[in-house]
Amino acid sequence: MLSSFSFHQQFFRPNPFQTHPPFNLNKPIWWRRQNSVLVVRCGRDKVEESKNYYELLGVCVDASAQEIKDAYRKLQKKYHPDIAGEKGHESALMLNKAYKVLMKDDLRKQYDASIGRISDNLRVGSIWEGPLRPQALFVDENACIGCRECVHHAGNTFMMDEVFGTARVKVQYGDDEERIEISVDSCPVNCIHWVDREELEVLEYLIQPQPKEGYGIYGQGWDRPANVFMAAKSFNKQVKQQEENQQRYTKSTDEEETPAQAQARESAYRELKVGRFARIWSWMKRSTSQ
Amino acid sequence: MAEPAYLVASDSETTAEEKSSSPFPDIAIGIDIGTSQCSVAVWGGSQVELLRNTRNQKLMRSYVTFKDEIPAGGVSNQLAHEYEMLSGAAIFNMKRLIGRVDTDPVVHASKSLPFLVQTLNIGVRPFIAALVKNMWRSTTPEEVLAIFLVELRAMAELQLKRPVRNVVLTIPVSFSRFQITRIERACAMAGLQVLRLMPEPTAVALLYAQQQQQNVHENMGSGSEKIALIFNMGAGFCDVAVSATAGGVSQIKALAGTALGGEDILLNMMRHLLPDMDSHFSTRGIDEIRRMGLLRVATQDAIHKLSAQSNVQIDVDLGNGRKISKALGREEFEDVNREIFEKCESLIKQCLHDAKVEVEDVSDVILVGGCSNIPKLRNIITGVCKREIYNGINPLEAAVRGAALEGAVASGVNDPFGSLDLLTIQATPLSIGVRADGNSFVPIIHQNTTMPVRRDVIFTTVHDNQAEALIIVYEGDEKAVEKNHLLGYFKITGIPPAPKGVPEINVCMDIDASNVLRVFAGVVMPGVQNPAAPVMEVRMPTVDDGHGWCAEALNRTYGSTLDLVTVQKKGAH
Repeated sequence: MLSSFSFHQQFFRPNPFQTHPPFNLNKPIWWRRQNSVLVVRCGRDKVEESKNYYELLGVCVDASAQEIKDAYRKLQKKYHPDIAGEKGHESALMLNKAYKVLMKDDLRKQYDASIGRISDNLRVGSIWEGPLRPQALFVDENACIGCRECVHHAGNTFMMDEVFGTARVKVQYGDDEERIEISVDSCPVNCIHWVDREELEVLEYLIQPQPKEGYGIYGQGWDRPANVFMAAKSFNKQVKQQEENQQRYTKSTDEEETPAQAQARESAYRELKVGRFARIWSWMKRSTSQ
Repeated sequence: MAEPAYLVASDSETTAEEKSSSPFPDIAIGIDIGTSQCSVAVWGGSQVELLRNTRNQKLMRSYVTFKDEIPAGGVSNQLAHEYEMLSGAAIFNMKRLIGRVDTDPVVHASKSLPFLVQTLNIGVRPFIAALVKNMWRSTTPEEVLAIFLVELRAMAELQLKRPVRNVVLTIPVSFSRFQITRIERACAMAGLQVLRLMPEPTAVALLYAQQQQQNVHENMGSGSEKIALIFNMGAGFCDVAVSATAGGVSQIKALAGTALGGEDILLNMMRHLLPDMDSHFSTRGIDEIRRMGLLRVATQDAIHKLSAQSNVQIDVDLGNGRKISKALGREEFEDVNREIFEKCESLIKQCLHDAKVEVEDVSDVILVGGCSNIPKLRNIITGVCKREIYNGINPLEAAVRGAALEGAVASGVNDPFGSLDLLTIQATPLSIGVRADGNSFVPIIHQNTTMPVRRDVIFTTVHDNQAEALIIVYEGDEKAVEKNHLLGYFKITGIPPAPKGVPEINVCMDIDASNVLRVFAGVVMPGVQNPAAPVMEVRMPTVDDGHGWCAEALNRTYGSTLDLVTVQKKGAH
């Protein structure tokens, strides 16, 4: 997520190889082009992995074809070379590529699988140093002012997220208890909380900014719950409800359905009723099975 | 201001660098150079305005007559008589002839025109000449077009009271890139810079997108996506496009086109009325030219009348004791031209198929062009699309109005009322690829790909220690490579010695929004990061005349020694 976010910024301010400031336009054209073809050839793996087509278009991973279309058109209206001039070429190329992949069911599935693999490798939350304990540290990044006090006092436990300018727990109990105590106390806005271990995972997931629904990267883009603790409560409630619903279903349908049918029905139900929630649900399942 | 009226640009034929040096100095005007008629339009501040010539015409005949010292075109010239255009002194139909070789059937069909079209059938440009004081004076389609464009430019400058340099031109879908370079050449000769070239139906699609956008504003309705099918048939070409429009963005989903038009219908009818027409016309004496003119005018008249009435009486005295007197019915007319109408129908179906659009999903069917009044054509289209024809567009002005809109958008003009909040996302009308895998055409950028686009394919050598490889670039959609248009060729050298199949030859093609095609090629050895030799960049097309010969000569000289084969891509999409 984070590495792809930095790509976002690249898109905002295209890298100097792709777009020259106006005074550089007199440079021989082959020089610029040659660079871009080298990007194509040699930098393929790097470029392809760091970009996420969904973020490029500013849509959710479960966006409908219509949402993708709308977002694509909105962005093209800003970046197409007819409007943005010659410098829009690279952006329009990327938009076209993303659009082509996401609009075709088979290509999109392939692509989803490929980015799924990458995000699996990415650590989402903090790791534990030593044995698991009932309490864990959690930084409410909404409140954090980025003072760096905690990192200063317990550098093995806390880290700064330079993109967001907030502190985050890197390793639970990475420093001795005294240092941790000092760092919690030194926080001027009291945004470091002791939470139950069971709650930690949900909180750390929810505090991550999610791409907000809307068009493109202008004016919105990223969002997280204003009150992460409330959000976690309602999230847990929803998960519980899901489980209950499911149990009810499996109970009532067991008799007349084969297991395969039941499974198909269940997944269809999820697709239909849960919609946007399915994403969090599947993440929960994955993380609990680990 | 001090520019001469007739400016011939340098021979480099490269305009891309010029284009980028002055991005938006003035609002580009839109020009629709039709095979028979021509018009100019420009964004007037709140809407598109068609410019008129001194005789108050919005649509001007596309021809240049050489009867006096100074050639005169249809913009300024006043024809004393329709037959004056058919006396042999006037050259017309340049759009049908430009960029074609003398083996092309379209060129052969033009041999019955009153001016001289001579073919040697060897794949070179045809010899074209006008009859001036009983002498055949040679010219070229580019020159004729340039003279005509100079007149158009002068007319536009007079009315707009400013120099005009940038233009958006409409072109037929079926034009090859070689033909496009000839059009650009004519523009350069006339001192005009081509900002954009728009396939005609895509210009119509943009006008439609603007209308839809305005409807949304006025009714506060939902800006839902609309699929439009646009059919354009003029005197020389027949084009189809399917576009998806929403929020002022016109996305071209598919294009199809062919060089068939009213001119072919006219020729069919002339042959129908005078079966031995060709032998009758072979010596091309002044009398014969005059007779041919009489027949042409009478036939044209009859065809026009048949759009409104079901029968027409034709009476022509061709002189020399030959008289044609015939009652012609609409059914007979439709029967004589059945093949043309069938081709139109199949083009529409093909375009819908390529766009992956079901007939039921088409919101509007737009019919434009000079042939749009032919009842049979209207029947075919309403039949295929199961829908009435959209009537919110003037069929003769739609293309030029769309071109003027594109001119304003691409010139960076903003409209406070959102009338220019528009965009056309073009698609490639033809595939572009290289010769590889023996004598096959391997497309790199496929037909109907959204532009701008950059794609690459990896090839490899066919011989051990092959040090060089030929990249021969073609445009078209035929499997056999020689049936496509040759765009150019170059050689990759310095491939390090290796067994066949080892070196990776990456061929990358890039088309930008102004439709400039660049081909890049480089060699990479497995496991090495950097190219083995400097990467080549070639702007296509590079071929000049006689492109039929070039491919043969390459074959004769190199055979398969410098061939390439495609590498099967692993897991790439």
